[in-house]
Amino acid sequence: MAETVMRVIGDTLSGADLNAPLLEVDDLRVEFQVRGKRIPAVRGASFTLEQGRTLAVVGESGSGKSVTSQAIMGILDTPPAHITGGRVMLHGVDLLKQDEDTRRTVRGNHIAIVFQDALSALNPLWSVGFQIGELYRVHRGLSRADAKKRAIEMLDLVGIPDAKNRVGHYPHQFSGGMRQRVMIAMALALDPEILIADEPTTALDVTVQAQIMRLLKRIQAERHMGLILITHDLGVVADVADDVAVMYAGEVVERAGIRDAFKRPAHPYTKSLLRAIPRVDTVGQQLEVIRGLPPNPASLPSGCPFHPRCFAAEDKCATEVPPWLEPSETHGSRCHFAEEVYADER
Amino acid sequence: MGRYVIRRLLQALLTLGIVLFLLHYLMALSVQIRGNPATLFFGGERTPDAAMLAQVERLYGLDNKCYERVGDPCLTPFVDRLQQYVTGDLGTTLNGNRDVAQLLGIYIPNTLRLFIFATITLVAVSMVLGTWAARHRGSFIDHTVRGTTILADSVPVFLILLSYVYIVAVPLTRWARGIWGTESFMGQVFRPNYNPDYPWTTIIIPGIIVGTVGLATMTRLIRAAQLENLGSDFVRTAKAKGLKPLRITVVHVIRNSMIPIITGVGFLFAFMLSGAVLTEGVMGIPGMGRMIFEAVQRQEANLVIVGLSVSAVVVVFVSVIVDLLYAAFDPRIRYE
Repeated sequence: MAETVMRVIGDTLSGADLNAPLLEVDDLRVEFQVRGKRIPAVRGASFTLEQGRTLAVVGESGSGKSVTSQAIMGILDTPPAHITGGRVMLHGVDLLKQDEDTRRTVRGNHIAIVFQDALSALNPLWSVGFQIGELYRVHRGLSRADAKKRAIEMLDLVGIPDAKNRVGHYPHQFSGGMRQRVMIAMALALDPEILIADEPTTALDVTVQAQIMRLLKRIQAERHMGLILITHDLGVVADVADDVAVMYAGEVVERAGIRDAFKRPAHPYTKSLLRAIPRVDTVGQQLEVIRGLPPNPASLPSGCPFHPRCFAAEDKCATEVPPWLEPSETHGSRCHFAEEVYADER
Repeated sequence: MGRYVIRRLLQALLTLGIVLFLLHYLMALSVQIRGNPATLFFGGERTPDAAMLAQVERLYGLDNKCYERVGDPCLTPFVDRLQQYVTGDLGTTLNGNRDVAQLLGIYIPNTLRLFIFATITLVAVSMVLGTWAARHRGSFIDHTVRGTTILADSVPVFLILLSYVYIVAVPLTRWARGIWGTESFMGQVFRPNYNPDYPWTTIIIPGIIVGTVGLATMTRLIRAAQLENLGSDFVRTAKAKGLKPLRITVVHVIRNSMIPIITGVGFLFAFMLSGAVLTEGVMGIPGMGRMIFEAVQRQEANLVIVGLSVSAVVVVFVSVIVDLLYAAFDPRIRYE
């Protein structure tokens, strides 16, 4: 497996350094041009993903997690989106500095993405076999017949029964869970090193959700892939992720190992999120909620953007932008009182 | 797929049957209310000899008693006529006693030519303009395209025709003939009227003018369809697969935009029929539109029925084609 990876990287990404981290996102900034105004959607996202690890990116809708993933893929439309700063390093190569041809090769070959709603993310007018095979034909130059064979293998791999017959079917002929499996098969077709799953189970019912998560986990282990799991559901994260990055108002506000983050959150936002999860041992009690609404990115609150909703806020939160503090070596938080929250003193 | 085709064909046949019967019934009613068209044979004003009138009535199938009872659907003559149609006998005209089938042989090809040029114009121009406007959504180009097509659409066809014939055609023809000669393509194409020696060349300009009917509708349809698909999730997926923009447009956008375009063309076809009546009248083209118009004026009952039947057949035929194209493009319809 390691050999294949090296061959692929050498062929399609010149200058790749295998000793560098698999993916390193550093201070990524994205703005949207809306009626002449620049609105920040991502204001400095940083995280690292190593091979074989799972990083969960957690946040409310509008926190910039999907935009971050699409900026990594390079599939945002410019205009309206503009990447105004930061680096996205794949094996030590800054993708943001590459030309469009290289970026296209990276898509699918190195990084692939699974979108939320498979019904709209698949083209309704082409068979699933065509849409999976398209990758082999475009990137690998395979013939239609060979591409179809590979598509059948992929459908088989993601657990679609009777793949030989199903390959000619159209997206609307599949159930929700099966469609998401098709999406996953498509993303895995070229054996990428990084799989971004953008809320892969949101549109599915609970039992199917669990199946899809198990499938992702199994394939990740088999292929030693880096997996970025984007979700707003902390419950999903707990079982599968190794690390977690919590996003709020376009920036990563907390980054930690998953156990540490759940046991000893260092940001009040994360702490509030955890308190808002319904638990068996608190049955009958009223759930805690986070007051207020996520801020409008066009007019963010001054200082720390979370301060109007924060239980620990003090005067300086409204005026000073909090620095990145690290209460422990592997645990960082963008909060003035990170140490105290981490020590559970606030 | 097979069942879908058969079902659509049966529906088309049923529609056609209903249309043919309605046509027949309306004509029967007009005979019952307005009086016997056979008197036209004698010039309309004189009172003909009863025996001769009876003979003429028999000749044109107007001797059935049902034509004297207002509201009678006259089923026997209807069935008789259908049987005649099947054997290829379309009857004769009251004026001049000419064979209708022969007349159609002259008129149908001309109207067909007109429609070919009109459809090409409509589809080509609106595709280019619609795609262009979609690419530059919200910009000056977008607004200009939409404004101009609306303008072209709101000017009545006869106005475009008249201004072409009386203002543009003559100087343009003179200029072209001065350079290329009278008998050349360029010398004929701008003529203000039809020339039977050049049945294709002299129908190009009228065809283009008919094609402007519905240009704005089509352009907007195409613009909207492409915008919808360009912003769709599956185009984002296609980008994430590392496909080139050209491949995305050809494989994932154009095919998905075809459904509203097909619908639009099928729908505008019926519209163009009315444009054809005016155009054929003004440009002197011996075609179906002009034939029906004149037939109505002269109370040529048989000619009107045959002419309208032909256009009904065409409209039904086009909608069957549209339905089949739907199925060819969209598997969700095919497997319904």
